[in-house]
Amino acid sequence: MSLKDLVEAYIDLDEEKVLKIAENLLKSGGDPAEIIEACRSATNIIGEKFERGEYFLSELILAGEIFNSVMRIVLPQLKKEIKPIGIIVLGTVQGDIHDIGKNIFKAFAEAAGFKVIDLGVDVPPEKFVEAIRDYKPDTVGMSCLLTAGIESMKKTVDAIKEASLRDMVKIIIGGGRVDKTTCEYTGADAWTNDAATGVRIILKWAEEKRGR
Amino acid sequence: MAKMKEPIDLWIERHEREPDVVAKEKFDRFLKAAELKVPDRVPVAGLFGDFLCEYTGITWYDLSYNLEKIRPAVLKFVHNFPSDWGIIFAPMMLEGFILGLAFADFPDFSNTIRFLTGPVHDILKDKWSQWPGREIKEDFHPQFRGGEFMKPEEYKQFIENPIEFIHGTILPRACPGLGTPGSPQWNAAWIKIGMTMQKIASFQAQLIAEIGKMGNIGFPLTNAYAPADVIGDFLRYPTGAMLDMKRRPDEFKMACEVLVEPILKIATAIPPVPPLTVFFAPLHLNEMLSPKLYNEFYWPHLKKIIETLVAKGYKGFIFFEGDHSPHVDTILELPKGWGIAWFERPKNFMEVWEKLKGHTAVMGGVPTSLLIGGTPEKIDEYIKDLLSKIKPEGGFILSPGVNELPKTTSVANVRAYINAALKYGVY
Ligand code: B12
Repeated sequence: MSLKDLVEAYIDLDEEKVLKIAENLLKSGGDPAEIIEACRSATNIIGEKFERGEYFLSELILAGEIFNSVMRIVLPQLKKEIKPIGIIVLGTVQGDIHDIGKNIFKAFAEAAGFKVIDLGVDVPPEKFVEAIRDYKPDTVGMSCLLTAGIESMKKTVDAIKEASLRDMVKIIIGGGRVDKTTCEYTGADAWTNDAATGVRIILKWAEEKRGR
Repeated sequence: MAKMKEPIDLWIERHEREPDVVAKEKFDRFLKAAELKVPDRVPVAGLFGDFLCEYTGITWYDLSYNLEKIRPAVLKFVHNFPSDWGIIFAPMMLEGFILGLAFADFPDFSNTIRFLTGPVHDILKDKWSQWPGREIKEDFHPQFRGGEFMKPEEYKQFIENPIEFIHGTILPRACPGLGTPGSPQWNAAWIKIGMTMQKIASFQAQLIAEIGKMGNIGFPLTNAYAPADVIGDFLRYPTGAMLDMKRRPDEFKMACEVLVEPILKIATAIPPVPPLTVFFAPLHLNEMLSPKLYNEFYWPHLKKIIETLVAKGYKGFIFFEGDHSPHVDTILELPKGWGIAWFERPKNFMEVWEKLKGHTAVMGGVPTSLLIGGTPEKIDEYIKDLLSKIKPEGGFILSPGVNELPKTTSVANVRAYINAALKYGVY
């Protein structure tokens, strides 16, 4: 059983099979980093299938769960921690508890090599500010599905500005209620309605940062 | 110079002048549409939500708790924005079907306790919902949060005796206000809930009678639910439910199976009265599921419930939330004339209509975003075009995807929606 089988089983969302292959690969001396890479390419394809309407929310959720399960067995095997390509502080904004999309984005971002600090749901602006001080992330991600949450996003960006931390981070917003106008209104740097695009954006930012 | 009267103004005047005649017209109109026949005009569904609060100057707190303020606000709103048929939750209600299930064997109130109200929430302190002036601000819409109150390993116990499991395990977990089963607090809480429900029910009965006198109608309404949604909404959270379909498929199906009977008991607590008694069910997991999962874990049990109730003489009234397009074909498996399908935001409404017309009464067609962000001209034009495509076929009810509109919706837009129905809806 090869990495290719793993990717195939992953795209078929066969959780048991994915885990079995991952375990076998590890036992026979496979490189944990390569397994993570294989998962990354699988989630990529799953994200694209979702964008095309071939996959549904049920599949995305399962994809995220499979990723988490694989990580549970692979991470302890990593000889040295792979250096994350970036750190992202992520949360659903104050007043909003929708987290399905946020969790999917989290799994996708982790699969792409980011370290994600997940603040959970209904996160007040102060919490975001505190987390920026504590973790020094490159990026702040806010998820929002309620119209009422738009104000919370603006307040959060304002609080980050007030704490003089705005220049240290890029801010991306996502979730069903988010569009270009919201992005401008809240003062974020980018917005998206799908996790795959979100990951592409933060990857680009990470590249720009390395280039500097 | 006096402003020219629009169709809505003339209709309002008729409500004042001859409410009985207007009500009779509405009755026939809605009934015919539900029976797939051609009425005199396409019925137009009523609105509600933040828009009502803004227009009448009351808050969500008032609409949830303040019975004295609700009456004048609702009466004013119903007067100024007439419709052929509508539901206004006064006081405001949220999903609480699990409570109906808990008392499924008590038809005298299982159908009433199935909705959560603010005052009942104050007693239960349930974690399923949040209320204005309590957990959230007074001008916030009450919120359903749901949550995970059953562990995946507990399916077995649930399947063995769902009602007992709800009482013994779920309610104590989700409703701290109840305390320990059998304790004085527990017993007192249920008595208080009974008293509160009594008060609310008599308030509602009075309000409905008053609205009726103003030229409005209602058909007897009972409630049903999709078994898989009971699991997603109240027990395992939507994400948990979807994972269980993959990880514990047999248990998930069994759990749905054992829910069918209690759901039918709740629905039949209100007997079918001719010519029309509808059972309402909002669907939640539907749009999130792939057709494969929908057809295996969601539809079979829901279908059984619909078919059983239709055979008993009810008609269905199902709110297909989200984009139901991927699953629309399954509706054709139901007997022709089974009921009304209300669509929230199908990707392509006309496609859905073309598939279902002559088989299912269809409600919807107006994107909520158009009412919020459009102009009166755009709304007029859109509805004119829509109705020209739908008529002369009957079995259609004009409605936005959801009947709750935000505060920012303009009065002119809402009037344009009703005007357009009156102008272009005549067959
Ligand atoms: C599931 C759901 C719920 C569940 C939430 C479960 C959960 N843990 O999330 C429950 C039942 C609890 C719920 C409750 C409520 N809900 Co709700 N809910 C939905 C529903 C059906 C699906 C949302 C969803 O998960 N979509 C799928 C995910 C994958 O999409 P997504 O979030 O957009 O995420 C994608 C991208 O945007 C991106 N992404 C997401 N976040 C981020 C973040 C970053 C940084 C990046 C880069 C990308 C990214 O990645 C994802 C994958 O591509 C929507 C309807 C809809 N179809 O949108 C309503 C909806 C969002 N809910 C709504 C409402 C009103 C509520 C309630 C207020 C209802 C009520 N009155 O009780 C409460 C709110 C409670 C609260 N305080 O938040 C409204 C919002 C209306 C509005 N404009 O404000 C909607 C639109 C339904 C409707 N049409 O009315 N809801």
